[in-house]
Amino acid sequence: MLKVEDMHVYYGAIHAIKGVSFEVGEGEIVALIGANGAGKSTILKTVSGLMHPRSGSISFCGEDITHTDAYKLLRHGLAHVPEGRRIFLQMTVQENLEMGAYINKEVSQKDLDMVFNYFPRLKERRKQIAGTLSGGEQQMLAMSRALMSHPKLMMLDEPSMGLAPLLVDQIFEIIKELHKAGTTILLVEQNARKALQIADRAYVLETGGITLAGTGAELASSDEVRKAYLGG
Amino acid sequence: MSFLQYLINGISIGAVYAIIALGYTMVYGIAKMLNFAHGDVIMVGAYASYCVTSYLGLPAIVSILVAVAVCTLLGIVIEGLAYKPLRGTPSLAVLITAIGVSYFLQNAAQLIFGSAPKNFKSIVSMKALTLFGGGLTITGEVLVTIVVCVAIMVGLTLFTSRTRMGKAMRAVSEDRAAAQLMGINVNQTISVTFAIGSALAAVAGVLLCSTVPTLMPTTGAMPGIRAFTAAVFGGIGSIPGAMLGGILLGIIETFSKAYISTQFSDAIVFSVLIIILLVKPAGLLGKQIQEKV
Repeated sequence: MLKVEDMHVYYGAIHAIKGVSFEVGEGEIVALIGANGAGKSTILKTVSGLMHPRSGSISFCGEDITHTDAYKLLRHGLAHVPEGRRIFLQMTVQENLEMGAYINKEVSQKDLDMVFNYFPRLKERRKQIAGTLSGGEQQMLAMSRALMSHPKLMMLDEPSMGLAPLLVDQIFEIIKELHKAGTTILLVEQNARKALQIADRAYVLETGGITLAGTGAELASSDEVRKAYLGG
Repeated sequence: MSFLQYLINGISIGAVYAIIALGYTMVYGIAKMLNFAHGDVIMVGAYASYCVTSYLGLPAIVSILVAVAVCTLLGIVIEGLAYKPLRGTPSLAVLITAIGVSYFLQNAAQLIFGSAPKNFKSIVSMKALTLFGGGLTITGEVLVTIVVCVAIMVGLTLFTSRTRMGKAMRAVSEDRAAAQLMGINVNQTISVTFAIGSALAAVAGVLLCSTVPTLMPTTGAMPGIRAFTAAVFGGIGSIPGAMLGGILLGIIETFSKAYISTQFSDAIVFSVLIIILLVKPAGLLGKQIQEKV
C-alpha cells in the first residue's frame, strides 16, 4: 500500500534520513521504533508531504506521491496524526472534527457518531474549546479528526506521548479496533514495548537509517532490541 | 453637546480605521505577514471609484462595486506576484517587499493621476440629520460609515464562525501544517484572505474619501498606518480586536484634536498605544494562548 524506497531527507545541510526503504501492506499494523532524534517523525512528515525528500521515491496505492503537496494526500486516503497532536486549540471539539471532514465538504452525523462511538468522552465535550482538553482527550481528538475522512492508511506519530499508562492502554486498544475495522496503521512510537505488542511488522530506526526489521514478535524477542529499547 | 458631536465623528472615522484594520489583521492572522501595502490598496480603491463617477458619470453604487472588484483583483495579484514566491523565507524579506509594493502603488498612481489632489465627490447623497435643534449634526457619511462598519463586522464574524472556508481560514491561522493535513489548500486560503482584505480596503477607501474629500497618491498611507496601529492596539489577529481598536483610535484622535491639540493628535494617539502595549502586550483583545503539554 505504502512503499518508500531509498529516501534521503535533509534539513538544510543536515542529512536527517539516510536512504530509508520500507513498506506497509494493506491491512497491516507496521511500527517504526527508535530513540529520540532517530528520524521517525521526519519520515512521517516526508511521507505526508509536509517535507519533500531530496532523493528516493514514495508511492501510495500504486501512485507516485514523492512530490505531492500535503493537502492533496488526504484525498488519496492517507491521514497523518502528527506528533504533539496539533489539534486546533482555539476551535471547539466539533469544529476540529469538521476540519477533519474538510475534504468531504460536509460533516455527516454518521461520521460523528462513529468517532463518538470510539471516544465517548469527546461527545460530552463537543462544544468545548479544544485547548481546554486534557492531554489524553487531545490525543483522542487528534485521532478522531483523522478518522473523519475515512483514511485507508493512518499514520500515528507518538500517540502515547505524555499520557498516563492507563490512557496509553486505552489508546492502543482503539488502534487495534481501528485496525480491525479495516484501517491500515503506520505507527511511530518511542514506547517500543507497546508498539511491538500490536505490530504485525516493525522497523528499528537509528540515526536516520533502518537497522533492524522483522515481525513484532521477532523484534520483541531480539537481544539488540531488548537491550536498547525494552530495558533488558 | 459638542462632546457628543466629537464622539460620533470619532466613531465614524474610527469605523473607517476599523475596516482597514480588519484587512491587516486577517492577513496577519492567516499569512503571518504585515502587508504594509494595504493602505495603498485603499487609495487605489478610491481612485477606481473616482474614475467611475467623474470620468464615466456612472452612479455611486456602480463605482463602489468597481472599486471592490479592482481591489480584490489587485490583492490577489499582489499576493501571487510579490508575496507567494517568498513563502518560507524570513519574515523580514516579506516585510520589505510589502514596503516596496506600497511605494510601487503610490508611484504608479502618481504617474497615472498626477500628484495634485483630486476632489472626491461623496458617494453618500443622504442629507445630514440635525438633532437637538441644531446642537448635533450627523452627516449622511457618518451614518453610512458606521452602518457599513457594523455590517462588515457581523458578516466577517459569521463567515469565520459558520462557513467551511471561514473555519478553514481559522485552522490555517492557528496551525498551517495541521491544516494541510486536513486537506486544506493553504495557498488558496491565503489568496482568499487577501481578496477579502482588499475588498474591505476598497470600501474603506470610498468611505474615507467621502468623509475627507481630497484624493491623492498618498491618501492611503497615513490611514493605513493608523489602522495598523489600531489592529495592534486591539490585538493583531483578532477580528473584534481590530474593530474595537479602530473605533477607540478614531475617538482618541478626534478628542485629542478637539480638546488638546490638532498638531499633537498623532503623538497622543501613538502614546496611548505605547501605554496600552506596555500593560497588555497582546493588545486589548489579543489571544491569550493556553497550551497544554
